[in-house]
Amino acid sequence: MALLLGSMLLGTSIGAVHISPRTVLGIAFGTHAGSSPAERLILLQVRLPRVLAAAVIGAALSVAGVLFQGLFRNPMAEPYVLGTSGGAAFGAAIGVFLFPYTSILGFSAAASLAFVGSIVTIMCVYGLARVGGKTPTVPLLLAGIAISVVLTESSSAFVYLRDEISWNARNLALWLQGSIGTVGWTQLFVAGGMLSCGLLLAIPLRRILNVLALGEEYALQLGIPLELARVAIILVASLLTSAAVLLGGVIAFVGLLVPHLVRLLIGPEHGRLLAYSAICGASYLILADAFARTVIAPAELPVGILTAFLGGPLLLYLLRRTKREYAL
Amino acid sequence: MNSFLAVSNLSFSYGRKRTLNGVNFSVNNRETVALLGANGAGKTTLLKICAGLLPPEIGEVRFHGRLLSDCPRRDVAKKIALVPQEVQVSFHFTVQQLVEQGRTPHLPSLFSGLRQIDRAVVQEAMDCADVGHLRNRSFNDLSGGERQRVKIALAIAQQPELLLLDEPTQHLDIGRQAEVFCILRRLNESGVTIIAAVHDLESARAKFASGILLRSDSSALCGPIDSVLTPVSIREAFGISFNERHAGQSTDELASREHLQKTNGAQI
Repeated sequence: MALLLGSMLLGTSIGAVHISPRTVLGIAFGTHAGSSPAERLILLQVRLPRVLAAAVIGAALSVAGVLFQGLFRNPMAEPYVLGTSGGAAFGAAIGVFLFPYTSILGFSAAASLAFVGSIVTIMCVYGLARVGGKTPTVPLLLAGIAISVVLTESSSAFVYLRDEISWNARNLALWLQGSIGTVGWTQLFVAGGMLSCGLLLAIPLRRILNVLALGEEYALQLGIPLELARVAIILVASLLTSAAVLLGGVIAFVGLLVPHLVRLLIGPEHGRLLAYSAICGASYLILADAFARTVIAPAELPVGILTAFLGGPLLLYLLRRTKREYAL
Repeated sequence: MNSFLAVSNLSFSYGRKRTLNGVNFSVNNRETVALLGANGAGKTTLLKICAGLLPPEIGEVRFHGRLLSDCPRRDVAKKIALVPQEVQVSFHFTVQQLVEQGRTPHLPSLFSGLRQIDRAVVQEAMDCADVGHLRNRSFNDLSGGERQRVKIALAIAQQPELLLLDEPTQHLDIGRQAEVFCILRRLNESGVTIIAAVHDLESARAKFASGILLRSDSSALCGPIDSVLTPVSIREAFGISFNERHAGQSTDELASREHLQKTNGAQI
């Protein structure tokens, strides 16, 4: 918790315009001492929503990562494993190129269509992998990969089909690399609601995830309704992933990295893993976004680039340090 | 009177290949049964069917007189535990965390945590299987014998009436095998019925009161262990007729030991 609050404080204070942490705290507690109206405006209308958005995205992606890694018993699984990223990319491409000026609830058409695209993709993948009332995990993974590749490449094709490449293509690239950008309170409210729902539904799944670590047959033996459990995990993880897509596009690596880091630090028990992943994921993305805003200020890097840059070496370091054979 | 576990006219096929064909047997409460048969004869399949994990294709399995397929999965998991041959644990779960999972069917709901009583049962199960000192070790770092005992501890935490084991002594040296049989004897004395698939005819004869032999025609022979393991039945079930002389010797040797051993009641 302290980590989360600390990173929020840091995240709100740094940026193109520096606001001292003391001023931030002052505004947060309603005493306006020593803060200018401009600072208040920046903080409440720009900085704070953005930091909160980063927190929501980070927590959602990390928890979705834990859920998918647990379901597939595979540490390579990540939130976009069922084709979400492809679906989102395709939706975003349509939004960017066909409806560049439409918006719904403050979300751009690209964001809304990416959200729809990711959900439709997961439904298709699940439907394709389902055979005779069962959804074995390997076909599920393969269907996810296949659909994702097709959709990602189709959305790249858009770039070549349309003439107005410059602005739109850059916009799309920003989307596909994941960037948080300016977030309004309404958008935050919608995505935050989805995150809260997802978290509330994810925590009760912890026992099922623990039993699944023993394998599906063991889970069945111990009386877990396997198919129901699978659907529940996929639904919750998809809800979380789409919430993240809605706010920030496809942000790579967070959902893969954070569950690993947390697992290396506190062990694989899913009750604690889910809770700590949510907090660490939120903090991690707040910090990454703060860097993304400041490294080349006043311009910005897509935060997805930063998460990969920071996360890759960190994961490698931890893997080397623990020197433990990673059990698949 | 209903028998404890009754399998009648059971058949099962994988695709076209009939693995079990018209299998009949019944097991009494507190009995110890060795399940024997050649590789691929269907021992694992039969155990899974008895645990209610696979539905019988033809025939029925009754547990306390009730059709196993009619019982809710969770209720079955409270009464019947299966220790599989291999288990792959993803991620580094500790021994205690794994044994705790044996409580899953007994918890009020899938979403509740362990209660006081569950912790006590887990502790007892770990003591019984002698894995208490390993509680904080990662399962994936353990040796074969230790893993086997942890799997048995997990099953004990289910507090089953019927314990099914799939080759519990496979890949273990004789010392570790003795440990496993020692745990099984303790369990049997406390009232658990045991059916174990075993390969070693010697230990089957020495440790179990009854036997089920899966024959090459996919039917089963069952009864007291000595009536099941005869030179003729062994030769037939394991298909060792191609080397009559040596096979004959060893099976006859086994048969002659019958006279030396007085077998009555539960063994192990």
